[in-house]
Amino acid sequence: MAETQTLPVPAAARDRADDAAPARGLWQRIEPTALGAGSIVLLLLVWQFVPYFVPLKAGTKLFFTVPSQIAGTLWQMFASGSVWAPLGVSATAFAIGLAMAIAAGLPLGILLGRSKTLDAMFDPFITAFNATPRLVFLPLLMLWFGIGLWSKVAVVFLGALFPLLINTYEGVRNADKVLINVVRSFGASEWDIARLVVVPNALPFIVVGLRLAIGRAVLGVVVSEFFGSQEGLGVVMVRAASAFQVNVVFAGLIIFAGLSLAMTGLVKLLEDRMTRWRPQHVNAD
Amino acid sequence: MADAATIHSSFVARYRKPLLGGFAVVLFFAAWQAIFLVVPYNPLFISKPSAIAEGYVDLIGSGDLFHDLAVSSVPFFVGLGAAVLIGVPLGIVMGWRPRVGYALDPLMTIFYASPLVALAPLLVIFFGVGVSGKAIIVFSLSVFPFIFNACAGVRAVDRLLINVVRSLGGGEWALYSKVIFPSVLPYIVAGARIAVGRALIGVLVGEFFAASEGIGYDISRFGDLFAIDRMFACILTVMVIAVVLTEGIRWAERAAFPWRAG
Repeated sequence: MAETQTLPVPAAARDRADDAAPARGLWQRIEPTALGAGSIVLLLLVWQFVPYFVPLKAGTKLFFTVPSQIAGTLWQMFASGSVWAPLGVSATAFAIGLAMAIAAGLPLGILLGRSKTLDAMFDPFITAFNATPRLVFLPLLMLWFGIGLWSKVAVVFLGALFPLLINTYEGVRNADKVLINVVRSFGASEWDIARLVVVPNALPFIVVGLRLAIGRAVLGVVVSEFFGSQEGLGVVMVRAASAFQVNVVFAGLIIFAGLSLAMTGLVKLLEDRMTRWRPQHVNAD
Repeated sequence: MADAATIHSSFVARYRKPLLGGFAVVLFFAAWQAIFLVVPYNPLFISKPSAIAEGYVDLIGSGDLFHDLAVSSVPFFVGLGAAVLIGVPLGIVMGWRPRVGYALDPLMTIFYASPLVALAPLLVIFFGVGVSGKAIIVFSLSVFPFIFNACAGVRAVDRLLINVVRSLGGGEWALYSKVIFPSVLPYIVAGARIAVGRALIGVLVGEFFAASEGIGYDISRFGDLFAIDRMFACILTVMVIAVVLTEGIRWAERAAFPWRAG
């Protein structure tokens, strides 16, 4: 598109920056987008044309591919419909695991946020599990749940649970004490407090947790399919890797990345909508 | 008498949280051990603390545990070191030069969002089962927290300090060494905390795939052998290492940059 045309502009814009004010204004508005898109296009072009400049050894060629071939493979996978069955398998594990993580993480987060005693008792376990890469449990989960859907669901669940739980907890802890006291003065029960004050207040935090959880869940699906599964997009990728079908590996990576970006982007929209009025919160991964 | 009581109660009040936490951990292990008095114990499926302790004695006595930890630590530190060396300067330049930031931000976001672990099979096949393949997996997972945090840190640098250095005739290098780097450091340490977790994932993925030694290899091999007690011992070891690393960095953050404590 326009990217190739805007690429040479930076140098020119820099030179004229002082005397051509209107042009500079226009350029300044589009500069971030143009440079960002430009660098991506540039990378793809360089990648595409590397084989023309650098002689590759026969062994390396087995592992090398160019963007146009990856795009072709991707197109073929969608056109022939061969992508849907494995993608469906992966998506099922993703959806069940994430739903279970939401179902368990939110109530537990609210509970721990409201009760100091439970918080103190669960804290060591949450710290330990959150710090540990959940991947370490994969061989154990495969042993317990067998090879197939449920070991994947378990990995996704464990990955997505903690961002949701911890963010819900933070959101509950952040609730305005005055509001809680007001509601309580009017005779509200703990359930009313949760419904009227705590949960609405924690909602933006929960959405941030959801965004992090989606990333973790996608990672969980990929990794668990690599090691303990017989079907799914991750399995397609591993098989392709051992058959030196590099295009398929990259195509799978692009599908996973695209889905991950699309879902986190949607949640980010929701998040911006909800947090527009409050100061920025830093939520580390 | 009354004094003793108040001291006692204030001690409990002060250390309530760690006491309750420690109590819960002890309770957890005790319950785990005790439940097999009621439930039939199947050593092919589950383990219990006493069996795990025996597994530990076995692994430490034979020296396997430390050997494999040493083997796993090489790609971990090589990859993480490379991530610091490349990620921090790149992030600083991205934050400091707006145009570089515009150009690289979307690209890095895409890389960060895509499950790069997915390239592990290719990397392992290409680089073989040695250190280099695993170190590259570790690097590719752990470099992004350094880039993004260094970038965010530079953008948060106090403009006043920069102007002061410029007014006093400081050059570009003086800016970097006197203002930018010191104020970015807390961000980098915070990034390191995230990067360490991702680096551990990298080591484990690499070793699950293809390895003949290392802690990740141990876990999957003991799983295949149904040596659940030793498998649990290795899993617990990884958990302890992960907690020590992340909490250690958190502690260092609090100690070194108390104004950022949070």
